[in-house]
Amino acid sequence: MTPPPVTPILHTLSINGEPRVFVGDPMTPLSTVLRDHLGLTGTKEVCGEGFCGACTVQIDGAAVPACLRPVGLLEGAEITTIEGVGEDSAAARVQAAFLDHDVVQCGMCFPGMVMCLGPLLSRNAPLSRDDIKAALTGNACRCTGYERLIDALMSIAPSATPGPEVSA
Amino acid sequence: MHAPPFAIAHTVEEALSQLAALGPQARPLAGATWTMRAPLRGEQTADRPLVALGGIAELHQISRDAGQIALGALVTHDALASWAAEIPALAGLASAAGKSANPGVRRLATLGGNLATQDFAAADLPPALLVLEAEVELATEAGRSRLPLADYLATRASAPGLITRVVCPDPTMRTAHARLPMRVAGDYPCAILSLAARMAPDGTVAEARVAVGAVDPVARRWSALEQALTGQRPDPELLRRLASEATGTFTPRDGPDVPAAYRLQVLPALLTRAFAALLSPAAPEVSA
Repeated sequence: MTPPPVTPILHTLSINGEPRVFVGDPMTPLSTVLRDHLGLTGTKEVCGEGFCGACTVQIDGAAVPACLRPVGLLEGAEITTIEGVGEDSAAARVQAAFLDHDVVQCGMCFPGMVMCLGPLLSRNAPLSRDDIKAALTGNACRCTGYERLIDALMSIAPSATPGPEVSA
Repeated sequence: MHAPPFAIAHTVEEALSQLAALGPQARPLAGATWTMRAPLRGEQTADRPLVALGGIAELHQISRDAGQIALGALVTHDALASWAAEIPALAGLASAAGKSANPGVRRLATLGGNLATQDFAAADLPPALLVLEAEVELATEAGRSRLPLADYLATRASAPGLITRVVCPDPTMRTAHARLPMRVAGDYPCAILSLAARMAPDGTVAEARVAVGAVDPVARRWSALEQALTGQRPDPELLRRLASEATGTFTPRDGPDVPAAYRLQVLPALLTRAFAALLSPAAPEVSA
């Protein structure tokens, strides 16, 4: 029996707080919809198999690779891309720290790095360098700028060993 | 009017009905991490009808009561790792779920998908669950039934219905999980070894269960080694020798990335690492 042809479906998505519409194959990767249909090109498509992290977005607050999310599974989800981090979010603080520490090299991986580290920072828990490395296991930087990147996040993360309190 | 090629189910019964209506080529869709990479593997799946399971609440549940652990098929690796980390006897399962792939993929990839994907030989959860003597609960239109995990893995290409839960007895043995990816993390392991063991008061192995993944095409228990370990002291040299002597039972996968012989060569080291983790003074006590 020949399966029926794929019927384009209307998908209503919530992206960066706004309703957006996509009509097409429900198995279209979110990364493709963002870049090719909605013009949100800050999300980078590189490996297409969830290994490089360049397409990382936040879905309901969790950092996930957009290349592995079929758009048909995203009705009702809140999607945040690098364009939607604003000025007050944890991801925005990561972004500012990257600038302050002159971390950016070619820049291809950085939207994904920011979107990955934002949720980690927003936990407000003490972070070690190993914690950050573990969180970045799925985010590759071909410029290999990892150490400065970790320096930048450590500069804004709650310290694992806070210093003594100073009385007024 | 034909049935839609992409359906979203809200109950197990609805999913079964949709799969039946969409025909024999229809497949359930869980976390989608394997399915989305089908084009990269050269698979022709564009016209395959799919039934999305993410909206089925019961498949996301985890329970532990009456001496039994039940894990919903759509529990993600990330959720499973977090939950299992609180139970000392599930240290091996927590490690398996918490070290596979990378954090972003672990937030999406599901337990059921990991077990049902027949071409994924390097999955971490099957060996970790084999040593827990897990069973797979399958739902068909005739009802629900259970199958030992090893039997499911051997027949999953033709297994009818949907995985709804993975069930195992509340474990009383210590467990550990050792894996060897080609890079430190974020890669498929070339060999995986899961261990459950109970030690006798004299320090010898009273009972051991060992399962291996990523070596043969399908994960399986290593019965020859289990028998050899019983009554032995877990001395690293002895462990390596016993493992080396028992590798003849495998038919390892061969390829340009990892030669078959190498997959066997690393098993003794993985066994010693698993025992080291299991017997570590830092490992939490497991109550019988």
